[in-house]
Amino acid sequence: MELWHSHLLREKIDQSSLLVQGNRACALGALDAGVRFFAGYPITPSSEIMEAMAYELPRVGGVFVQMEDEIASICACIGASLSGWLGMTATSGPGFSLMQEAIGYAIMVEAPLVIVDVMREGPSTGRVSAPSQGDVMQARWGTHGDHPAIVLAASNVADMYRLTMAAVRFAQRFRTPVTLLADEVVGHMRESFSPELVGRYRLTSGDFDFTPGYVHPDLAREVHPPHILGSEAHPHVTGCTHDETGFPTNDAKKSERFLHELYDKVTNHRDELCLYDVKNEGKGRVCVVAYGSCARSARAAWRLAELEGLPVEVLHLYTLFPLPIEVIQTVARRVEFMLIPELNLGQYAREVRKLAENWTTVISMGKIDGTLITPREILDQVTRLIGKYESV
Amino acid sequence: MNPSANAPQGVRAAGPEETETPRVSARVGLLADRDFVEVRFCGSGGQGLLLMGLILAVAANHDHRCVVQTESYGPEARGGHSRSDVIISDTAIDYPTLDSADLLVALSQEAADGYTRSLRREGILMYDSGKVTNPPSFPGMTIGVPFTRLATEETGRPQTTNVLTLGAVVGITGVVSVESLTKAVMEAVPAGTTEVNARALARGLALDYAEWMVDSC
Repeated sequence: MELWHSHLLREKIDQSSLLVQGNRACALGALDAGVRFFAGYPITPSSEIMEAMAYELPRVGGVFVQMEDEIASICACIGASLSGWLGMTATSGPGFSLMQEAIGYAIMVEAPLVIVDVMREGPSTGRVSAPSQGDVMQARWGTHGDHPAIVLAASNVADMYRLTMAAVRFAQRFRTPVTLLADEVVGHMRESFSPELVGRYRLTSGDFDFTPGYVHPDLAREVHPPHILGSEAHPHVTGCTHDETGFPTNDAKKSERFLHELYDKVTNHRDELCLYDVKNEGKGRVCVVAYGSCARSARAAWRLAELEGLPVEVLHLYTLFPLPIEVIQTVARRVEFMLIPELNLGQYAREVRKLAENWTTVISMGKIDGTLITPREILDQVTRLIGKYESV
Repeated sequence: MNPSANAPQGVRAAGPEETETPRVSARVGLLADRDFVEVRFCGSGGQGLLLMGLILAVAANHDHRCVVQTESYGPEARGGHSRSDVIISDTAIDYPTLDSADLLVALSQEAADGYTRSLRREGILMYDSGKVTNPPSFPGMTIGVPFTRLATEETGRPQTTNVLTLGAVVGITGVVSVESLTKAVMEAVPAGTTEVNARALARGLALDYAEWMVDSC
């Protein structure tokens, strides 16, 4: 695989042992998955994805465009997707805000897209190189109207590679935008990364089909066949609620059915879309539910807990939306507490609480000072919860 | 390519290649025996701190150890704060950012003032004594070397300060092997500067820390 050896991705590395930056691994995953169109506007902490794509795409017959802003970037990606390519862009919170209107349009016209949001702290400009997970609910509900969302969260460099691949796969299969969330630490960090380890997760080229107008046979009943710009037919593409001809409709029944189909094609496939991992399964009284870089803190806390004899399990979520309802409820039924550390003021904890509060106590642990939650902070909270229970 | 030699610890693939053990160079110095070391480089933008972190991380990777490197910087191209953290471990690293440093290298007064409290009590503080004129109080081992002046004397280029400092760091602490550091530096420096950087590195490696020890306060 020659791409490993190209200049930017290789990044001064030994051939057999790689030290790769998260953002570069994301670009590599996209290229390996067959993404050949990227339009973007640079923004810290995501710029290296764009830099790598600018360097690599022309070398593999792809197209790279630096647009004038994020709105133009995502619109160019939608255009590419409607022409039978798969458009990808990468940004951070401020750019993600600008993209929201067009994301809704992409959902409505069923244009597959991959959007990478490397989150930084705060609203507006915030702090450019401080990690955050503040865009979680924006990734879910940033655009208006009832709509489906597929949102993945990466916690390390290998994740940036394989979840980008998964995002391409999901976008293409379900013909909808997929958002991959990372935070500044995951995007900027460099980490030992073995191609063999990642090889286990590599999807084969047979998993992808970029033929214009392609709809996976499994989903033929749920996904509407795309209209391809530049084809023989005269396609009509609109953000209005439309019927199978592509033209707007005001018919209540037709529009209800259409919107339901958009929603259901994602939520009915939770078993395929929800990626997760449980550590110490079934042995904890407290379950730490975490995603992104907080999942690394949670794992470290679990190792410390083992040493101290505290019963802790870790539910590491790679897919945040569609909500992994069954996964969360299964764990909720067997633990006394669910602790959710995240770099925001409890955005995902609210979702978990809605699903789990009938069975367990859900505790949110938010932090917004631009530093990661430490394993010790999680462990202290676990100790307090268990101690409180003992004293009752 | 040998798939088992470079996989992070704990995920080694079984196979016939397993018998071949990677050759790891010897490390000598104050931190050479540690199975887990946290290093922080800090100073102001433009001093080459991010590159220092990257070179040390690449060198540790050459030593076949697990490594995570993270960074933080302000929006300015020059000036402002700049920081690069490297965690080196014999086992897989979960928590990716620095908890408390075993070694802090400060190249500006502001960085020394701000980050000395991120250092463990039994850690090592190294600073550029030409820039840090008012050293922070630290009870542990403290080493003040005029890195910028030495680099300018040695190569005529203050830009080689970061490579000289890395030489001193590795010569004194042995966090990575000299062989891997040399390889990593040579891979990282721009074409045409190999010779000056080699001189800066050699000067750094040859520093005798006893000469630059500062009395602990």
